[in-house]
Amino acid sequence: MEGLGLLYSGFVNSLTTVNLVACFIGALVGTLVGVLPGLGPTATMVLMLPFTLPYGPTTGLIMMTGVWYGAMYGGSTTSVLVNIPGEAASVVTCIDGYQMSRKGRAGAALALVAIGSFVAGTIGILGLQLFAPVLGNAALSFGPPEFLCFMILAFVLLSNLSAEAPLKGALMIALGLFLSTIGITPMDSYPRFTFGSEQLMLGIDFVPIAVGLFGISEILNVAIEKYVKPVVRKVRLKELYPNRDEMRRSVAPMLRGSALGFFVGLLPGPSTVISTFVAYAFEKRISKTPERFGHGAVEGVVAPESANNSAVMGSMVPLLTLGIPFAAPSAIMLAGLRMHNVEPGPMLFVTNPDVFWTFIAAMYIGNLMLLVLNLPLVGAFARIAMIRPQILLPVISLICLVGVYSVRNSLFDVWVMIAAGVGGYFLRKWKYPIAPFIIGVVLGPTTENSLRQTLLMFKGDVSLVAGRPLSVALLALAAAFLAYRVMAPLLGKKPALKVDEGKLL
Amino acid sequence: MEKAPASRLEPFFVFLLLVLGLVICVISWGYGFGSLRQPGPGLYPFFVGMAIAVFSLFILISELRSGTREPVLDKEGAGTLALMTLTFCLWILAMPRLGYVVVSLLATYAFCKIMKLEGWRKPLAVSVGTALFIYALFDYWLYIDLPRGILE
Repeated sequence: MEGLGLLYSGFVNSLTTVNLVACFIGALVGTLVGVLPGLGPTATMVLMLPFTLPYGPTTGLIMMTGVWYGAMYGGSTTSVLVNIPGEAASVVTCIDGYQMSRKGRAGAALALVAIGSFVAGTIGILGLQLFAPVLGNAALSFGPPEFLCFMILAFVLLSNLSAEAPLKGALMIALGLFLSTIGITPMDSYPRFTFGSEQLMLGIDFVPIAVGLFGISEILNVAIEKYVKPVVRKVRLKELYPNRDEMRRSVAPMLRGSALGFFVGLLPGPSTVISTFVAYAFEKRISKTPERFGHGAVEGVVAPESANNSAVMGSMVPLLTLGIPFAAPSAIMLAGLRMHNVEPGPMLFVTNPDVFWTFIAAMYIGNLMLLVLNLPLVGAFARIAMIRPQILLPVISLICLVGVYSVRNSLFDVWVMIAAGVGGYFLRKWKYPIAPFIIGVVLGPTTENSLRQTLLMFKGDVSLVAGRPLSVALLALAAAFLAYRVMAPLLGKKPALKVDEGKLL
Repeated sequence: MEKAPASRLEPFFVFLLLVLGLVICVISWGYGFGSLRQPGPGLYPFFVGMAIAVFSLFILISELRSGTREPVLDKEGAGTLALMTLTFCLWILAMPRLGYVVVSLLATYAFCKIMKLEGWRKPLAVSVGTALFIYALFDYWLYIDLPRGILE
């Protein structure tokens, strides 16, 4: 009953003009980002960070989640109509979505995707609402050793799930951790790797790094690629009604996709992308007519699109309960909340419960907004997808340049962004995952603090970890996963999933 | 299509990371390693540097063992990348003197031409539109004081 009361006050707080406008802007921008090439949800969220600063942490969180969420909705539009995924989590939707479109069922596919995303979003929010406070309370018993061991487990999973070559993932995490050490140390105020530079004393700011790696590198990528004008199929409003058979076949995949997506979202790595592959594979496996998949099976469209929406909510659980982001967009959210002096983690439910419950309420509203926005405006969004990159990319480039400069009025930050952008372009081409790097940057200070506090607590005797069952369990899990990765090829097992890293941004 | 000779770039990059890892270890040692009982500021970056060096070494070995690599860019792509990067750099150098509105207008025009937007009318329209949008967004909506340069 206490939860319902808190949710009610969350609705009261979220129904302010500022929060509703933030929710709408986030959802609209997110949908556009999902539809358009050139800027993924992660880079957009970073660019929007400074704009949220005058309005408080809850408004910022609502706007950024709206972008992430909206991108999941918008990405499916181009998948179905043009056979080009607007963002990585809609790659799978192309398979059957475009086939439905060729059969003249594009409207029905988009309507079912929107409904599925709404249902999944609602289930995801419900899951977050139920799980997060419970896990948050449990995490209150975490000490520095538990946090350190949890971080080790997260890094092991992240490096393995984010890249085809786990070593590349691990290297990127280590580079991110190193970058976070530049500047004054948090515990003893000692300058490291600053070489006498005042700029470096403050450390490398997170915003230019993230905009460079996710925004500028994508701009360079699209600018260099040869542009092929897409052919968009027209959708009329009357075509948006799915027939009875399509409705009947969509209900169960919608629910299964939502549940699967939420639990995959709890894992480190590009969970929204992985959830779509898992949901599609699962539906095909349990289908009595698997041969329809790839030829316009509505289940193959609805299940992955439901999964990626609930995965967004799933990945909010570790962020809000432990303060540990498992995906690049949630790393951006962590950075954003810290800019507002709010530290997510177990204490969030004690010190700032209003932030959590207002966010939950706003997500229910945002989900409804996205449904209303996406169903009637699907034709307009499809036309927006036709805008040529030659017009779009110069505008985005300038927003990145001026946006990053405006955060600290620092040209040094713009240099950092350009360097990160060019570096990021090559890293993506060589299949080095970017997300582990950015998560390493964000989690670096927490990792160092946990390590040093653990060593101080144990007076240097690391064997004392054995006396903490949770830490031992977390380390055992990490070791078991590593052992599986090493042993699997020897036992002739194929890797579970292969995801194109170039599309994970 | 003619390919640029970029196939050795990745192993060279990994080699640089290996060197970086070792340099981090050396510098961190200088900061004071401390002890496990009383860790110094160099302890954590030392381990991070070691991790970078070890991972880079393994990747470098695997890169050198693998056969020929696909070049990342053809000549045209390399040219586009160089021109885009140059425009970004010129924006940074010119912005304090000319002001963000004028430089944004010029840079947008340059980006449009690098990306082969035909004619001069469309690029000009996009440039003017972008400059006005940036001005309205940062000056009127966000009240952020940015260098106006010659428009001061």
